Amino acid sequence: MRLSVNGRPHDINVAIAATLLEVLRDELELTGTKLVCDRGECGACTVLLDGDLVYACLTLAEACDGTSVTTVEGLASPGGGQALAPLQRAFIAHDAAQCGFCTPGQLVAAHALLARNPHPDDEEIRTAMSGNLCRCGTYPKIMNAIRATAAGEFAQGSSDAA
Amino acid sequence: MPRKPKTSGHPRGGFVRTTVEVEGRSETRIVEIPAFEPALWGDDAPLGIVGTRAARMDADEKVTGRARYTADISRPGMLHAVVIRSPIARGTIRSFDASRAKEMPGVYGVLGPGDAPPATRLFAREVFYAGQPIAAACASSERAAWRAAQAIAVVYDAAPFAASFDEAVAPSAPKVRSSGNTPPESPLVIARGDVDAGLAAADVVIQREYRTPVALHTALEPHGAVAEWEGDRLTVWESTQGIFRVRDNVARALAVPHSKVRVIMDYMGGGFGAKNGAGAHTYVAALFARRTGRAVRCLNDREAEQSDSGNRPSTTQRVTLGATKDGTLTAIRLIADIPLGISGWEGGPAQFYHDMYACPNVRSEEVFAYVNTSGMQAFRAPGYVEGAFGLESAMNVLATQLKIDAVALRKKNFARRDPRKDRPYSGNKLLECYEQGAARFGWSARNPTRTPSPSSRLRRGRGVAAQVWPTGGGPPAYALVRLNPDASIDVLAGTQDLGTGSRTVLAQLAAEALGARLEHVRAIIGDTQSLPYTGNSWGSMTTASLGPAVRMAAEDARRQLFEAAAPILDTTPDTLEARDSRIVVRDTDRTMTFAEVTKQLGDVMIMGKGSRGPNPADMAIMTFGAQFAEVEVDVGTGIVRVLRIVAAHDAGRIVNPTLAESQLEGGILQGLGYALFEERVLDLRLGRPLNTGMHDYKIPTMADAPEIDAFFVDSADPAANHTGARGIAEPPIIPTAPAIAAAVADAIGAEVTEIPLTPWRVLAALEKKE
Repeated sequence: MRLSVNGRPHDINVAIAATLLEVLRDELELTGTKLVCDRGECGACTVLLDGDLVYACLTLAEACDGTSVTTVEGLASPGGGQALAPLQRAFIAHDAAQCGFCTPGQLVAAHALLARNPHPDDEEIRTAMSGNLCRCGTYPKIMNAIRATAAGEFAQGSSDAA
Repeated sequence: MPRKPKTSGHPRGGFVRTTVEVEGRSETRIVEIPAFEPALWGDDAPLGIVGTRAARMDADEKVTGRARYTADISRPGMLHAVVIRSPIARGTIRSFDASRAKEMPGVYGVLGPGDAPPATRLFAREVFYAGQPIAAACASSERAAWRAAQAIAVVYDAAPFAASFDEAVAPSAPKVRSSGNTPPESPLVIARGDVDAGLAAADVVIQREYRTPVALHTALEPHGAVAEWEGDRLTVWESTQGIFRVRDNVARALAVPHSKVRVIMDYMGGGFGAKNGAGAHTYVAALFARRTGRAVRCLNDREAEQSDSGNRPSTTQRVTLGATKDGTLTAIRLIADIPLGISGWEGGPAQFYHDMYACPNVRSEEVFAYVNTSGMQAFRAPGYVEGAFGLESAMNVLATQLKIDAVALRKKNFARRDPRKDRPYSGNKLLECYEQGAARFGWSARNPTRTPSPSSRLRRGRGVAAQVWPTGGGPPAYALVRLNPDASIDVLAGTQDLGTGSRTVLAQLAAEALGARLEHVRAIIGDTQSLPYTGNSWGSMTTASLGPAVRMAAEDARRQLFEAAAPILDTTPDTLEARDSRIVVRDTDRTMTFAEVTKQLGDVMIMGKGSRGPNPADMAIMTFGAQFAEVEVDVGTGIVRVLRIVAAHDAGRIVNPTLAESQLEGGILQGLGYALFEERVLDLRLGRPLNTGMHDYKIPTMADAPEIDAFFVDSADPAANHTGARGIAEPPIIPTAPAIAAAVADAIGAEVTEIPLTPWRVLAALEKKE
């Protein structure tokens, strides 16, 4: 099957029961996307599939033929450069990652939220992000980072001051 | 070599026998006295990097997905192992047949009863709890290993078991463990003064029974290890709070010299107390790796993580408080039942009762029981979290009964000295925490809008609770600070960063002491082979234990740098100062950068060494705090929403306020989960946990997070250690649940004495009231 991941095409053979998460982590060695609950309860494996949020642990790889996937590794400038996306810079400036294990899923979920609703209010942020669990308790900082990104504080070219 | 001791106290150099405290427990150790000790960084010290909000130094790796956790480690030819667990709570394995599994494609082996070295305590025939590891399978993929596991035929002879405290202490109870049903220390009695006399002298006596649940750590990264042998040398990548303790565990269990075991941990997805040593996964990976000659990875799946990787044990606390009319405590009595699970230590609720208030008469009696469930492990402020729910809830009842403000009652009983050991505190700003917290919360502005509208089912209430926790840290801990030829600086220390930010904090301390720019400094941690010893990241003690060693190493490096630079600058070392990675001859405009010095030195290394000296004798080194909660309760559904928390804590100097506030917020949110949602539910007929997923065992989500105003009464501790810093990671979880419970009681006019405050418990309390 053919899968485009972070803008790069891949031809891969997948086992019948393999999940998208297994393909990303084991075949393509994109280990940013994490396995935590393995049954759609925690959001740590959140990726974009043709622009829609999915839990990669619940997504059959075979069903992804011809699709385009974005993982945390693809959030930094899509052209392949090193520049971090505004959301990533906001997460750094607001200390929105403690242990960091949920961070990839949080970033992808927040990215999807801002893509469909560039100026969410707090209630919309809470609702959109409540499927991504964090045990360290970074929620207040993630909230701040999303608010700041929505306010344009981390737009390309702007200062990182927060 | 001119090394001037700058402070008096201990004689410099040599070794001394001293007491080290970890989470309230004391042990005696022989430790080195550092050859010099820098002067205290007091509140007036001109610090430019310590105390600033520097960004977390590994944040880049975390937001890009580049950070590699143990679960992300992949080695060439790596195999996968899984652990097979008992479905029964007590009994023996009658037969174990893995012959079919061993012949399956891709299977490299099975370990069953009797196959593991006795020191690993793995794979005995006797079963003591549901979830106990009884075998393991190794294969070319995790799926193949699970298929093999399913092909193993095990027949058990089930035996009677005791899964609850009451069952375990009943006269006819089955034997929970071969040695019996209670640890030798039980019942554990701690007493000061005369509680009966104190109660006789009281104007008011209140009695309550409080219950707290079994809580699960639920770290997002599971316990796991990757093991690989090269000849007789073993390397283990482990998700752990203590690389050296894992090394020690593995070396002993497998009878390998310590020098041949290397433990590595770069990034870690949370620990919270459950990852303090090697576990079944570690030994299984190491044993299969030795047998196959390949690297082997063994990770807990989520069910194993939630059912057999540690927990905070439940408690029943019967509390009696006596006080005079003005609120002065005359007696505190606690009788507590604590089922530990199949194993554990006596980290019960009592110590909090002895530490918190200046009451002359305190007596606690804790009865511990082993039960046939997975064993407890330390979980963020073990014992104190449970104890605070009991004592602080009772204090709030007492305040209501005496018609005294709950903050005023606490201030009235403020302990000016450590009441348990009758010794002074190194520093204590708890009164400031009460005052500043109350002011920021608006505590004195009574008359909150209890009922938003007359017809509404929503009721609002407010509550408060306080906290104390031992956070002095201590020796041994060592660090090296290395100035490289390119003038970059490495801090080398065998510690770990659990997500607390220790990498950043240590770099800040080193940059400050050396006079370097922070961006030139990095901390290299997490490798037992190449880094000096540091203890576990537990007990909120990494900054207080290792920080002084890092500062000393940096000052030692600075001294050497000055000695090297002095002849170049045509002066003597004592005329030099350093800041911003630049050396300045005092009162002149002669200056050179670190890079200009290191360029002349070439490959000549400057390497400073630092170690952690003993704590001041006979002093209590504690962290304090007070938290205020406002909640909204729907009296129709019983659903509690926490609207806001104000938290004021005193942990001495704060090295990085942003990271420290993150610790406060994290502790508060875990405390909120403990107060409202979190409870392992056991099927008492089978002895098995029922909620081993993250949906059924609910931890807080962003939608549950209240507005949090968490801050520090930030002031250098004058006596704890020369950085002025104490610990902060655990304390903020301690007072959250009792503050929330008090706010719920205030809102509905009835007390719920058992957490979590689920809707049905709230509704039951309302019903009882009517």
